[in-house]
Amino acid sequence: MSAAPARALVVDDERMNREVIVANLRAAGFETVTAEDGVQAWGILNAHPNSFDVILLDRRMPRMNGMELLTRLKADERLNHIPVIMQTAYAETEDISEGITAGAYYYLAKPLDRRLLLSVTEAAIADHQRRLRLQDDLDKRTTAMRLLDRGRFRFRTLDEGHTLAVALARACPQARHLVAGLSELFTNAVEHGNLGIDFDEKAELVAAKRWRQEIEARLDTPRGRGRWVDVQVDRQADGVRFVIRDQGDGFNWRAFDRISPERAFAPHGRGIALARRLAFTSVEFNDAGNEVTCWVASGGNDAQAETPPSVTCTEAAVISEAPPETVSEEIQLARTMQMELLPSAQSLAEIERRLGVRLSAHFETSSTLGGDLWGLQPIDDGRLGLWLADFSGHGLTAALNTFRLHSLVANCTPVADMPAAFLAEVNRRLVGLLPLGQYATMLYGVVDLVAGSFRYAAAAMPPPLLRRPDGQVVRGDGAGLPLGVSAHAVYAERNIPLCPGALLFMASDGLADSMALDGNRLGAAGVESLLEASARNLGKDTDAVLAPFLAQIQRPLRDDLTALCCACP
Amino acid sequence: MKYRIIDSDAGPTLVLSDQLLFDHRDIFDTAIDKLLARKQPFVAVDMAGLTYMDSAGLGMLLTLRDRAEHAGIGVSLLRPSKDVAELLDLACFGSLFTIERG
Repeated sequence: MSAAPARALVVDDERMNREVIVANLRAAGFETVTAEDGVQAWGILNAHPNSFDVILLDRRMPRMNGMELLTRLKADERLNHIPVIMQTAYAETEDISEGITAGAYYYLAKPLDRRLLLSVTEAAIADHQRRLRLQDDLDKRTTAMRLLDRGRFRFRTLDEGHTLAVALARACPQARHLVAGLSELFTNAVEHGNLGIDFDEKAELVAAKRWRQEIEARLDTPRGRGRWVDVQVDRQADGVRFVIRDQGDGFNWRAFDRISPERAFAPHGRGIALARRLAFTSVEFNDAGNEVTCWVASGGNDAQAETPPSVTCTEAAVISEAPPETVSEEIQLARTMQMELLPSAQSLAEIERRLGVRLSAHFETSSTLGGDLWGLQPIDDGRLGLWLADFSGHGLTAALNTFRLHSLVANCTPVADMPAAFLAEVNRRLVGLLPLGQYATMLYGVVDLVAGSFRYAAAAMPPPLLRRPDGQVVRGDGAGLPLGVSAHAVYAERNIPLCPGALLFMASDGLADSMALDGNRLGAAGVESLLEASARNLGKDTDAVLAPFLAQIQRPLRDDLTALCCACP
Repeated sequence: MKYRIIDSDAGPTLVLSDQLLFDHRDIFDTAIDKLLARKQPFVAVDMAGLTYMDSAGLGMLLTLRDRAEHAGIGVSLLRPSKDVAELLDLACFGSLFTIERG
């Protein structure tokens, strides 16, 4: 973890856009500085060239637009290492090509997707810090490598590749820029070549945050242990040649040797193109794609040497949905722990096996930590307790309360088959624990397949809904005193008849309160409409119900959003 | 959220308008500081101008109720709009406050 929070410069002429980005970045632990146009941003960067880890740059602005500023930045040795994330409402292919050619790290299309904004910013900062570390390593290494005339090296792991990249870069005049390019090609040789991870597979691993883990695991297989990357270096009068050969089956390098506008929005897959542009005069693959020859021309008058290399994307692969490095480790740990409170995929599979009901959930927090929680309570082979709770507020305070609730619920199992008593018991235990102004809303119900009913009690929750097989939606009643307000609260037990093929749906108020891109809240009626509409495509899980709305929801979310589906056999 | 306080013989009334959301906790706290500082036996919150309130608004009202109760002050909620009234009913706030519907 870095000692100081990473700092972003947010450049946008629209105040609202600036505020949205700043709010998101600050919530994620970044420091931010804002500028209203390119002129102001240039002034700030000139005065503080070493103060920023990333720049978020709007394309269309008065006085000096984003492209002009980007061009200036890339021409300035003091500033050209800072990754620039362009934003544009006009995701035109030409715009993207122009921006990427000029050295943009990434393109974000407006309206901004909060999760993408944070993951891309995080990756850009990680790249930048990694690049600084590489350069720092470079500065510390002996310059003896400059005496290297010819050599052959081999390595197996990413770390070894990193070490070699730093050392070999020293053999060349443009060491600073070369190190990132070599590092990129070495990584490619290990992951795509020797270990056989293709583009789509990498995307999945990145999304699941298992990329490094998978690399380590594959390196430890007989195949991984037996495969090496071979590097030959040959200094000639007019430059240095690197030949990098892996022991894989090769790959379709032609698809990746330039940054296509189509992939400007992909989380990875631009390493080769960036490597090409970093400092190499030429980069040529053999037909199969398992050997690459790079040429670095020497001579200070070489046009390539004079062209300021663009900032790299050497580790775009680390894009993830995890909180950025600048969020404290404790918060990251808390998030991991909170996710572990949720029922596991295995427990859902076990419920489906035992009872035949299929459970699915959507759990999305409005900040790193959330105030929603859901759970299940198996009672017997015909009955299942389901609950969904929402603590007032969101963020850390609400999240801490979810841990409290999780423990309390575990102590209420003796009344798991009595929804009203269950809620009263949870309430009794919460009163006195919660500080002033904090409360929880909750729905607890028992899916009874033998009796064909959903018996439930509610504490100020949106009503449970049932979609019948004919598509008709039945609305329950969520009224009840919130938990934690009065020790003497009593709750009503209510009932919705179940039938085979029915779909039970519950959600926190974050769903109805969420805004669509048109600025309208979904509302209770909108939630019912979503459920009704899902019958048309026979949707039986939360993805099917929520997908049409999640595609057009405004992010950042105003509140945590949890939805739960229970499909009856 | 916007607010003003109108004093009358029946006690001070906090008149809310616009929306009452999670982000308005601080301004709401300031408003109830001023309201309770009147030290009148009854206070009211006029909600007629409140076009929207989310669940965080319920928490703010609970804070008002708790602080007022400790000071021996009664609280009434006045004229909630249809949407706000639905939320108050969902949370059974009729058992915690006197609600006068307009």
